[in-house]
Amino acid sequence: MGKLDGKVACVTGGTRSIGRAIADAFLAEGASVVVNGRDQAKGQRCLDEMGAGDRAAFFAGDARKQEDVEGLIDFAVQHFGHLDICCLNSGGVEATAPVASMSDEEWKLEMDWNINHVFWGMRKSLQHMIPRQAGRIIVTSSVEGKLGKPGLAGYVTGKHAVNGLVKTAAKEVGTLGITVNALLPGIIETDIVRETGPASAQAMGLESYDAMIGLFCQESSIKRPNRVEEVAAVAVLLASDAGRNMTGCLFPIDGGTMPY
Amino acid sequence: MGFLEGRVACVTGGTRGIGFAIAKAFQREGADVVINGRDPAKGAQAVEELSRSGDGGAVAFVAGDVKLRSDCEAVVAKTVERFGRIDILVPNAGGGSNYAPVVDMTDEAMAEALDWSFWHTFWTVRAALKHMIPNGWGRIIAMSSVEGKMGKPGIASYVVAKHAVCGLTKSVAREVGTMGITVNALCPGAIETDEMRAQGPSAAESMGITYDELLQTFANESAIKRLNEVEDVAAVALLLASDAGAGITGSLISIDGGTSPY
Repeated sequence: MGKLDGKVACVTGGTRSIGRAIADAFLAEGASVVVNGRDQAKGQRCLDEMGAGDRAAFFAGDARKQEDVEGLIDFAVQHFGHLDICCLNSGGVEATAPVASMSDEEWKLEMDWNINHVFWGMRKSLQHMIPRQAGRIIVTSSVEGKLGKPGLAGYVTGKHAVNGLVKTAAKEVGTLGITVNALLPGIIETDIVRETGPASAQAMGLESYDAMIGLFCQESSIKRPNRVEEVAAVAVLLASDAGRNMTGCLFPIDGGTMPY
Repeated sequence: MGFLEGRVACVTGGTRGIGFAIAKAFQREGADVVINGRDPAKGAQAVEELSRSGDGGAVAFVAGDVKLRSDCEAVVAKTVERFGRIDILVPNAGGGSNYAPVVDMTDEAMAEALDWSFWHTFWTVRAALKHMIPNGWGRIIAMSSVEGKMGKPGIASYVVAKHAVCGLTKSVAREVGTMGITVNALCPGAIETDEMRAQGPSAAESMGITYDELLQTFANESAIKRLNEVEDVAAVALLLASDAGAGITGSLISIDGGTSPY
């Protein structure tokens, strides 16, 4: 018997990396899961790999677009009948740069991706969860939600902002059977970090991608990157019955990096 | 098969309340567990209760007063003696008495709170690390509190001791971070345990309110508007003790229904 039998979850950015690990862990605990991503082909491959049959579904959509994020929530409710757990996990940067040379376009993209997507998904989920008096919202923030790094202003700003949103929403729905929490992972060498890392390293004034990974590791106590499974384990805890009294929590999974 | 099979855990203040819930969760996952407390009768009762199902790991009781260094060191030593190793340490006991506003607080009341929460944690952690470091694996799960992050008038001794536990946690985590040992602190909100019923009235009096008002104050400060439960805390301890907890260290984890601001 799984900890999430009969529960329905959705995960933005769920076809790869952290989101995928969360989706896999939820499936292993008996939940049904809608994974979201932009690419239909990747989505299909993800479903094939999961091999979860009717318990897994894919919804193609761009987390940076309001109609897509809201469409995901609608789809999950329609497809599985309701939604218990909403993981707003997608996020990132494209052509990031130091503040002095940041373009308006990149700034807007990073805000849509890292904060607006979370707001859109949370609002829509809460409208469904509040009448049911039950729900779990789990936002993937970051170690950069509490710290700052030169060259990553948009990402850092977005992740700080979602922490504020999580704490506020937690207080709004605390007595309604709904918890709202954030995961704050340290650096993890995910596909997206490998793709965008070289540009981020450049914006941070570092000589290479490896130097950037090394910097994050050096700041931690464990001197290594984190792993997606470490994040997924916390997501399962927060989604389970045992997590019912944890809310407004910014949960560190950062190998001892953040000072608070 | 439980995911803590082959592990050995030691939980101070493990006969009741939060400590008992953690010991039970560990034992159910297959760990051999030493529980400590002052009263052998309560210890025997707790061991009987934990062993009753016949499943899970073995359980032993070690009597000792955690306000004494010799007893703290003995609890760790006896854990190793009984089960051959110590993988998981939960210095869970803690508290205070004779609470008063700082202007009227006695040296004895402050010293007692520090012995009970802070020094006991330091003594047991130091002793356990001597075994964990050579083994290259360990989990230290200290018991702080929502009052390890915040302050409350009238219970400064408790607040100070729990803040100290958080400082110790963060420092040790950085010392042993590459040695396979994680060090974290749990920061629960108020839970109505036996210990709370015993210590709460003195704390309430020092705050100028009744015991029921004290509990209501804690509930009102939270987002869930109710107290926490011991099982909430045990679930997080279990996560930290597991292999998946390897990437979490130096963390002060709030299990407080949305009370603490960070």
